Amino acid sequence: MRLLLVEDEKKVADFVARGLRAERFAVDLAYDGVSGWDLASTVDYDLVILDLMLPGLAGTELLRRLRQKGKTAAVLVLTARDGTAEKVANFEAGADDYLTKPFAFAELLVRVKALLRRPPAGRAPVVRVADLEIDRLTQQVRRGGKRIELTAKEYGLLEYLAANAGRVLSRTMIVEHVWDESFEGLTNIVDVYVRHLRSKVDDPFSTQLIHTVRGVGYSLGEEQDS
Amino acid sequence: MNTQSLKFRLIGWYACLLLGCFMLLGAATYVALRTSLVSSLKENQLRRARQVAQLLREEIASHSENRVGSEVEARYAPDVNDRFVRISQRDGVLLYISPPPKSQTFDPTTLPPPKWPQSTEGAREVPLLGGRAVLVTSHVLQLPGGVAYLVETGAPMDEVRTELRKWFIFLGAMLPLVGVIALGGGYVLVKRALAPVDQIASSAERISSQNLGGRLPVARTGDELERLSIALNHMIERLDAAFQYSRRFVADASHELRTPLTVLKGELEDFVHKGPQSPDWRDRLGSALEEVDRLTNIVEGLFAISRLDAGEAAAEWVKFDLAQLVSATADQMSLLAEDKKIKLTCQGNVGVWVEGDRARLKQVVVNLLDNAIKYTPEGGSVALTVFAQNGKAVLEVVDNGIGIPTQVLPKVFERFFRVDTARSREQGGAGLGLSIVKSICTAHHGKVEASSTLGQGSRFRVELPRVPATAPQLGTK
Repeated sequence: MRLLLVEDEKKVADFVARGLRAERFAVDLAYDGVSGWDLASTVDYDLVILDLMLPGLAGTELLRRLRQKGKTAAVLVLTARDGTAEKVANFEAGADDYLTKPFAFAELLVRVKALLRRPPAGRAPVVRVADLEIDRLTQQVRRGGKRIELTAKEYGLLEYLAANAGRVLSRTMIVEHVWDESFEGLTNIVDVYVRHLRSKVDDPFSTQLIHTVRGVGYSLGEEQDS
Repeated sequence: MNTQSLKFRLIGWYACLLLGCFMLLGAATYVALRTSLVSSLKENQLRRARQVAQLLREEIASHSENRVGSEVEARYAPDVNDRFVRISQRDGVLLYISPPPKSQTFDPTTLPPPKWPQSTEGAREVPLLGGRAVLVTSHVLQLPGGVAYLVETGAPMDEVRTELRKWFIFLGAMLPLVGVIALGGGYVLVKRALAPVDQIASSAERISSQNLGGRLPVARTGDELERLSIALNHMIERLDAAFQYSRRFVADASHELRTPLTVLKGELEDFVHKGPQSPDWRDRLGSALEEVDRLTNIVEGLFAISRLDAGEAAAEWVKFDLAQLVSATADQMSLLAEDKKIKLTCQGNVGVWVEGDRARLKQVVVNLLDNAIKYTPEGGSVALTVFAQNGKAVLEVVDNGIGIPTQVLPKVFERFFRVDTARSREQGGAGLGLSIVKSICTAHHGKVEASSTLGQGSRFRVELPRVPATAPQLGTK
């Protein structure tokens, strides 16, 4: 998979490229709109990650030209503005997804993978993490063969964690996925639900599956050691 | 009537001034009238004195000056005409004195002795008892050979007095009429003059309470009021510019902070995942990341407020049932209440429809409910109520928590305001939740109010314009 990252802020570009390369993506970098356009118009990329505020050539304009040229690469727009009107304008210009700064790298990765149609844990009807088993059809959860009763929200939270098992999910990502954007900034709701989930999924058992990574978020899996 | 009002004072001044002028004019005409009446009486009497002197001259020429008295009486009949005539010589010998008049207004014999004037003619007022007076004029008849006679004529000044009294009564009768005209005219004038001022005041009030985008209507009259409206418009313009500048500043600042925050967050997270794995290090990095998140929340909040205040909320307006939104949101947050053993109740008449950005209005419910739960101790209760009232859709969030001190109640919707710094910082709030609520409500042409009793709980009341219900599937997301 070959990715193009057009971002004029070198530091942002560097850590995003580093993270993506660690995930075994081939990443090309462009630090301004003109060189971004040169690369995007000549190479067939699978995905273009595009910052909107670019010197030389604005991101929106680059996007419009790209679509005019018939390039089908998925485009993920990065922006420091999240005005709804701008969002709509960029989707109309041909953006596939939208990410507002500041973002967690994990969130970028989830979106990149979704755009490249590489779902993290697939849409399998049954998700297994260690001895935890989640049946997506019946929404039943078992651990070590023992049935666990969860409320709808607790199930949603656990399913989201399990679908991204081994990956640390930020509170913002969890809020947006399990609740909706109206709950942004209200991250303690995640903590409360995770605590309740733990009391049902972890506490009765000897090994802990739900892990807290301070300042980052939560993850589900058995290999974490905190 | 308000005695402090400009209207009242102007009318008062106007009436006083007009009455003052009237009285001054009255006094002046009184004096002028008196002078004119006296001088005409004096002229008449002097003429009479000259005539008598002429008569005397003729009688002396014919050596029959002793007959002058009967001649005077025959010609002028001073007793009948209420007049006084006296002829005397330099040595004080009286040649003639008229008899008392028939009207008995004065007695010629009691009048003061003859007084020779400096020149040939003179006049003086001789006061009588009872405030009355007689005007005495004198004429000196100088004959060749050094013989001189003094002819004095006089008339009581009663006529002058009567005329003046008539004039005085007339002035007195006119005074109340002038007073009424002054007050009435003043009222009409002042009212007409001040009506545009009232209009300007009410327009200015409307503009400042709604938005600063509006301007006062300027009537091209060329008067002071046009200048006033133009000056006020300039002021509103500058205020508007200042507000826009501050909004733009907040928007720009929060925008500029996003990129450095992205780098900080990215690098720190990378370090958490790949850096040294000692628990102490991870804890410190986590703490730094928590602060990055808090900064991010502040930046997002400020940006949201500046956008709402600039009127950019109207992106996705739909009609929906507020009661349904509230109960769904309360349901999503029920665990937060349960966690603190708070009894959360939600009452709503289904069918209270509002129009607006559903996600934003949901944020109002989320923020208010989160606040209520945060500041209610374990075992308390929080109640959400939705109802329609006077064409408004009303949401009330009532808790029996710690409450808000009355003196800071008006400030709770200000940015970064905290009732108690220690208390809310520990709760992790950015101090923007209620500001966002207020901005959202204002952007939806609604309002939010807070009332509270310290130690007994708070009540937040949101009012939004109610719209008629439409098919339910249009409103639900």
